[in-house]
Amino acid sequence: MEIIIQQLLNAAQLGAVYSLIALGYTMVYGVLRLINFAHGDIFMVGAFIGFMLATTLNMPLVLMMPLTMLLTALVGVAIERVAYRKLRDAQRVSLVITALGVGIFLENFVRIVVGPQTRQLPAQLPDSVLKFGSGLIITEDKIWIILISLALMIILWLFVQKTLMGTAMRAVADNSEVIPLMGINLNRVIAVTFAIGSALAAAGGVFYGQAYSIDPYMGIDLGWKAFIAAVIGGIGSIEGAVLGSFMLAGVEVFTVAYLSSNLKNGIAFGLLILLLLIWPSGIMGKPLLKKV
Amino acid sequence: MSSSKNKHSQALLAKLAAASSSWGIRSVAFLVCIALLQIAGDFDLINQYYLHILTIIGMNIILVASLNLVNGYLGEFALGHAGFMAVGAYAAAVIATKVGPPGAMTFVLALIGATLAAALIGYLIGLITFKTVGDYLAIVTLGFNMIIVNAIQNMDYLGGPRGFGGIPKTTSLIIVALCLVITYTILRNLVFSGHGRRWISIRENVIAAELMGINIYKAKNMAFTIAAAFAGLAGGLWAQYQQFITPKSFDYIKTTDLLVMLYLGGTGSLSGSILGVVFYMILMEILRNVLAMIDPRLAELRMLISPLILVIVMLTRQSGLLGNREWRWLKPRKEDSTDEYSS
Repeated sequence: MEIIIQQLLNAAQLGAVYSLIALGYTMVYGVLRLINFAHGDIFMVGAFIGFMLATTLNMPLVLMMPLTMLLTALVGVAIERVAYRKLRDAQRVSLVITALGVGIFLENFVRIVVGPQTRQLPAQLPDSVLKFGSGLIITEDKIWIILISLALMIILWLFVQKTLMGTAMRAVADNSEVIPLMGINLNRVIAVTFAIGSALAAAGGVFYGQAYSIDPYMGIDLGWKAFIAAVIGGIGSIEGAVLGSFMLAGVEVFTVAYLSSNLKNGIAFGLLILLLLIWPSGIMGKPLLKKV
Repeated sequence: MSSSKNKHSQALLAKLAAASSSWGIRSVAFLVCIALLQIAGDFDLINQYYLHILTIIGMNIILVASLNLVNGYLGEFALGHAGFMAVGAYAAAVIATKVGPPGAMTFVLALIGATLAAALIGYLIGLITFKTVGDYLAIVTLGFNMIIVNAIQNMDYLGGPRGFGGIPKTTSLIIVALCLVITYTILRNLVFSGHGRRWISIRENVIAAELMGINIYKAKNMAFTIAAAFAGLAGGLWAQYQQFITPKSFDYIKTTDLLVMLYLGGTGSLSGSILGVVFYMILMEILRNVLAMIDPRLAELRMLISPLILVIVMLTRQSGLLGNREWRWLKPRKEDSTDEYSS
C-alpha cells in the first residue's frame, strides 16, 4: 500500500512536468494549428537557463524561477517572430519542418555553449523527509513540485477563461480567419500564446532539473512524451493536456515499477495508438470535420 | 513459321528497346561510372573516404525517395520511416549471420528478406495507421517507430540494446548503386503510372479523389507498404555495410534526418530526393572539413549551420530546393509535354 502511494506520487510529479510542457503544445496548436516540434527544446532551454541562474548567480528559487520563465518566454516569442510568423499562411508542413529545424538548432546551440554533459540543478526546494504511519516516506520537494505546478495550471485556466486576452485566444483557436476582422490583434494573441507556453515549459524544466537531471537532448524525449500526452487528451484542449499527462505518467511509472523499465516507451506508445483508435481526436478533443 | 515468330519477337524487342532506351542506357552508363570509381578506389587512385560518402549518399537516396512516396506524393506526414529501416536491417543481419554461409547468395537473400520483412510490417502498420489522418497519423507513425525500436531492444536474440554485431561486410558502392537504379526504376514507373496519379489526386483533394472512385484506404496503404519495403532494402544494405547495428540508431533522430533531406530537396519529385540528399550530405562534409581546417574547435558549429540552412530554405523556398519539378531525364518521354501536373 505504501509503495503504491509512493508510486502514485512519483507519477503525479512526472505528470506535473509533462502537463507543464503539454500545455504549451496544446495552446500553440489551438491558435496556429501547428505541432511546435521545437517546444520540447524550449523546455530544455528553460531548464538550462534555470541551471545557469542557480549556479553562476546563486539565485534562490523564488527569484530564479520567475526570471527563468520570463527569459524563456522571450526565447519562445523570438522564435515565433523570426521563424514562424512568415510561414503562417504557407503550407503547414513547411511550418512543421521549420519547427524541427529550430529544435535541432536549440539542442546543438546549448550543447556547444554549455557542453554535452548531464547536469543537475542545485536542490533548492525544501527536501526534508516526511514519514507517515507505517513506513510511508515522502520527500517534501515532490509535494512542492506537484503543488506549484497545479497552481500554475489553475492560474492558466483562470487566465484563459476570465481575461480579455484569454477570450481572444479561445476565439482565435475557434476561427483564426474571422477573428482578426473583429479588431483582435492576431500577432499579439499568438505572441502571448508562445510566451505563456514557453514560460510554463521553463517551469517544467526547472522542476525536472530538481527531480531528475538535465542534458541538451532531453527535450526530444520529454517533448515527444508531453506531446503524446496532449494528443491523448485531445490536442487543443487545456483540460485534455493535463489529463493526458497524468495518465501517461501513471502508465510509465507503474510500468517501470511492476514490469520492466525497458518496456516503458513501447507501452506508452502502444497505449497512445490504442487510445487514438478509440477516440480519433483524443479524449477531450473536438472531432475533426471535413468540409467539401 | 519460325521466321514469322522471329519477326514478332524482333518487333517486340524493338518496342521494348524504344520504350526503355533512354532510361536503360542512362542506368547502365551510371553503373559503369560507379564501377569505374570503385575500381579506381581499389587501386587507390581515389580516396576511399569519397567512396564511403558516395555509398552513404546512395543508401540515403533510397530512404528519402521511398519516404517521398508517402510524404510527398501521398501528401501525408509520416514520421516513422527509420522504423522500417530497422526492420530491414535486423532481418538482413539475422539472415546474413544465422541462415546461410557468407557469400553472394546469402547477401541477395538477406536483401530480399529485408525488403519483404519491412514490407510486411509496413502493410500491417498501414492497416492501423490509415484509420487516422493529419497530425494524428504523424503521431501514430512516430509511435510505431518507437515501438519497433523498443521491441528490438527487448529481444535478446537480436542483441537487445547492446546491438547486433559480426555482420559480414558485403555491401559495396557498386551494389548500392545497383539497388539505387532498381529503386528508381520501380519508383519512377510507379509515380508516373495510374498509382502515382491516384496518390497525387489524394494529396490534392481527398474528397474529389474519392468521388472519382479511388479506394483511398487501399491506395494509401499501397504507397506506405512500398515505401516501407524500400526502407527495408536500404536498412539491409546499411546493416551489411556498417557490420554493427544498434536499435538506437533507428529512432526518431534518424527519421528527422531523412525528413530534413526530403523537405530540403522538395517533396513530390524524385529528382528532389536526389538533390536534397546530395546537397545536404556534401554540404555537411565540406563544412566538417573546412571548419576543422580553420580550427578544430569550430567543427561543432556544423551542427548549428545545418538546422539554420533548413530554416532558411523553408523561409525562402517553401517547396524545397526543387519544388515538385522533375529533372527531364527522370521523366518518361511522353510526360515531357506536360511539364507540371500540379499547381
